[in-house]
Amino acid sequence: MTVPRVLCVAEKPAIAKAVSQHLSGGSFQTIPVRGNRYVKNYVFEFNFGGPWGTCSVTMTSVIGHLTSLEFERQYKGWLSCPPGALFEAPVHIAVDPDKTAIAQNIQEQAKYCKALFIWTDCDREGEHIGTEVRKQAKEGNARIIIKRAKFSNTEKAHVLNAARSLIDLDDLQANAVAARIELDLRIGAAFTRLQTLQLKHMSEALSEKVISYGSCQFPTLGFVVDRYLRVKNFKPENFWGIKVMHTRDGIKVNFLWRRIHLFDRAAVTMMLERCLLAQMAKVTKVNQKPTSKWRPLPLTTVDLQMMGSRYLRMDSQKIMKVAEALYTKGFISYPRTETDQFDKGIDLKKLIEKQFPDTNWGQYARGLLDGGYRTPRAGRHNDRAHPPIHPICWVSPTALSADEKKVYEFVVRRFLACCSEDAKGQTSEVEIQYGDEMFHAKGLIVLERNYLDVYVYDKWESSQQLPNFQIGELFEPTEAKIFDGKTTPPNYLTEPELIGLMDANGIGTDATMAEHIAKIKEREYVAVHSRGSGRNAVKELIPTRLGVALVEGYDNVVAGLPDSPSLSKPFLRKEMELRMREICAGSKSRTEVVQESLEMYREVFIHTQRRISMLKGAVRKYMIEDAAS
Amino acid sequence: MATPEEQIAVQLLSSKSLPVSAAWLNSFVASTAHQRNVPLSALTQTALFRILASDFRDSLSTRTSSSLLPVDTSDPKVQQRQLQGSIPVQVLDIDAIGSSLWSQVEAIERVERGEAIRGREIVRTINVGEDAEQAADGTGGNNTPASAQPETGNSNGPHRLVIQDAAGTKAVALELKRVNGIALGKLPIGAKLLLRNPTVARGMVLLTPESVSLLGGKLDSLDQTWREGRKERLIARITEMQGEQSA
Repeated sequence: MTVPRVLCVAEKPAIAKAVSQHLSGGSFQTIPVRGNRYVKNYVFEFNFGGPWGTCSVTMTSVIGHLTSLEFERQYKGWLSCPPGALFEAPVHIAVDPDKTAIAQNIQEQAKYCKALFIWTDCDREGEHIGTEVRKQAKEGNARIIIKRAKFSNTEKAHVLNAARSLIDLDDLQANAVAARIELDLRIGAAFTRLQTLQLKHMSEALSEKVISYGSCQFPTLGFVVDRYLRVKNFKPENFWGIKVMHTRDGIKVNFLWRRIHLFDRAAVTMMLERCLLAQMAKVTKVNQKPTSKWRPLPLTTVDLQMMGSRYLRMDSQKIMKVAEALYTKGFISYPRTETDQFDKGIDLKKLIEKQFPDTNWGQYARGLLDGGYRTPRAGRHNDRAHPPIHPICWVSPTALSADEKKVYEFVVRRFLACCSEDAKGQTSEVEIQYGDEMFHAKGLIVLERNYLDVYVYDKWESSQQLPNFQIGELFEPTEAKIFDGKTTPPNYLTEPELIGLMDANGIGTDATMAEHIAKIKEREYVAVHSRGSGRNAVKELIPTRLGVALVEGYDNVVAGLPDSPSLSKPFLRKEMELRMREICAGSKSRTEVVQESLEMYREVFIHTQRRISMLKGAVRKYMIEDAAS
Repeated sequence: MATPEEQIAVQLLSSKSLPVSAAWLNSFVASTAHQRNVPLSALTQTALFRILASDFRDSLSTRTSSSLLPVDTSDPKVQQRQLQGSIPVQVLDIDAIGSSLWSQVEAIERVERGEAIRGREIVRTINVGEDAEQAADGTGGNNTPASAQPETGNSNGPHRLVIQDAAGTKAVALELKRVNGIALGKLPIGAKLLLRNPTVARGMVLLTPESVSLLGGKLDSLDQTWREGRKERLIARITEMQGEQSA
């Protein structure tokens, strides 16, 4: 009996290699692919079990998407048609010129194979790439059987298990991506051409530029501009408050006013006077209660990007690149996930045990297995595709680059923290009534640090201890006086804040947020400035003149029009994202969604054409008049 | 037997502490004369309703001094005193002094743009086509003018009001303890309050749940101009303050 041949295709060369290593037990033949230096074919035998049994395997890969959607040739020139025509101009799918060798390789290999097993990443994009691979394979062999491996990390046992429990491609997810690709192409090209052609003659600085539009890019820019304008327009105001201090047992206790502060000096003066008239303050509440600081939730992509850019001093795109590399090398699980709850089936203790050799946190890991272990808290998100990001195995720091070390350490510490006990403490609170006003003082003692010992990114410190107060007791405070202050503008937006805003407003997915941020930097719509210096420096996003002009221009274009939200706002894109989800859920078809979303954007497009003078006016204001003054 | 005017006057004074002016009552009764056989209680109800929608300077009597603010109420030299009696007043202005003026301007502008903030999420409040019904019975954000309540946490108060009595005497009132119903967007201009033995400190009438009750009503035209001009007034006050600071 001859052994059946199967073709396996991964999303990236490194995954193909890693999977080959696991399936073959380390002995495979490497065959170069003509026309591409990176992609290799790995040949070995493997027993897939079930209906397949032992097969002769050729494992290869693509490099991300194989194909692109493009307009027919007669629409490609920038002046070939009115930009509005791109909403319905014919499009077709074409293999990217630099990927033809890869496509050829798949077609060629498919000819001799009974089945194709797809090993692309298990997310929406991966599902779509899977359909691209399927198409090429079918060109080579129309009768080839298609299956898919479901995996979320490249650890050996996990990969072997995935190989033996193959499933089908999810065409719904692939369709959602196809819809997204078509919408991005049409809407992006139409607006990009319109605004570039209309604005390029206005200023020297714009003449050679493509002023790109993207349905995620613009709302992302919108958040940055919105904050910038809030800072710029901010008006400081004075406020006043009452501070009560009492010395007891040699401790100066500062009581905070329940009203915090007010913006009316006369009122505050009168309130203080009434406190002083009353002379005696009365203790209305004395509370001592145990408190805890909760250990963090299991790590999601958004959290990794936010915490990462806050604590690791790397931008979100960099972090994702590094995490991707750590995943490909098999050190951590798939870094693109929305899930913040661990599946019951996963053996967390075994994962903790793998960290024993580490000189920094190995001891802590041991402590967890010696009784410190707690089941991680479960968050509310589960993408049903990937577990939270966690370490797969221990890796010696010497095997990692400096950036990899930082990200790996964060992932491990976060993971160990998840599996730890909450930090425990005790708060004491004293509340007093003084005249008509209420004040309170709080103290905290940290009793057990627990997870804080390994999760060095969280801070929780004991504060000053409060002396003894009895409920109902009357005393005359040592001092009561007015303090004053001034409101301060918000800070410019930072990258973690921006990611938080994008996440909350449905702009991009955990996988693409970092790209959108990188894009608006690359297009010179925003610039990164440093506030402060040294270790405390914070990187802030500040829009350029062009960035502000575009946002204000589009806001003006729709100003006063009901039901036409500006392109700088997240609303249109959010709706599109909700429709993608409906495709995934099977409640809407791809065609329906494409049509509906195109309609929404076409309306804004028509307004923009009609009121292009608004856009030009904003560009004139910021790029020409402002720049000159 | 007492005339209907007298009966209504007695009724409103005893149940609502409103000393209605005789002239106003006469014209009220005259205007309702064509409706015969209306029971007195219904007539009293109608009178009360109209009084709450009227300017107190027209509808209330100024003859009893215990139902008026002393003319020197606003004297900041008086540390503290307690007024005796029940004093009906109307609201001329309301302000949240726990929030900065600028944050209130920002909140108004968000409403103008049809947005609200829910945590970090920006929410559209203008109805979007197919969701018209939902939007209408939901937040009612559809036609809400600039008066909308600031969404931020400390907008709850305390509030500072300008009040006016039947004689036209004005005073500042301060919500010393939380009073239900006193809030921006909730308490219209021209709303009527009844002060009961309130304390006045440094020229400010102190409002607590014990010293004030809300009668309701409003002055439509005043309220509307107040709402429409609110953002401008806030901005003007900010500009003025900045002038003072730099001077």
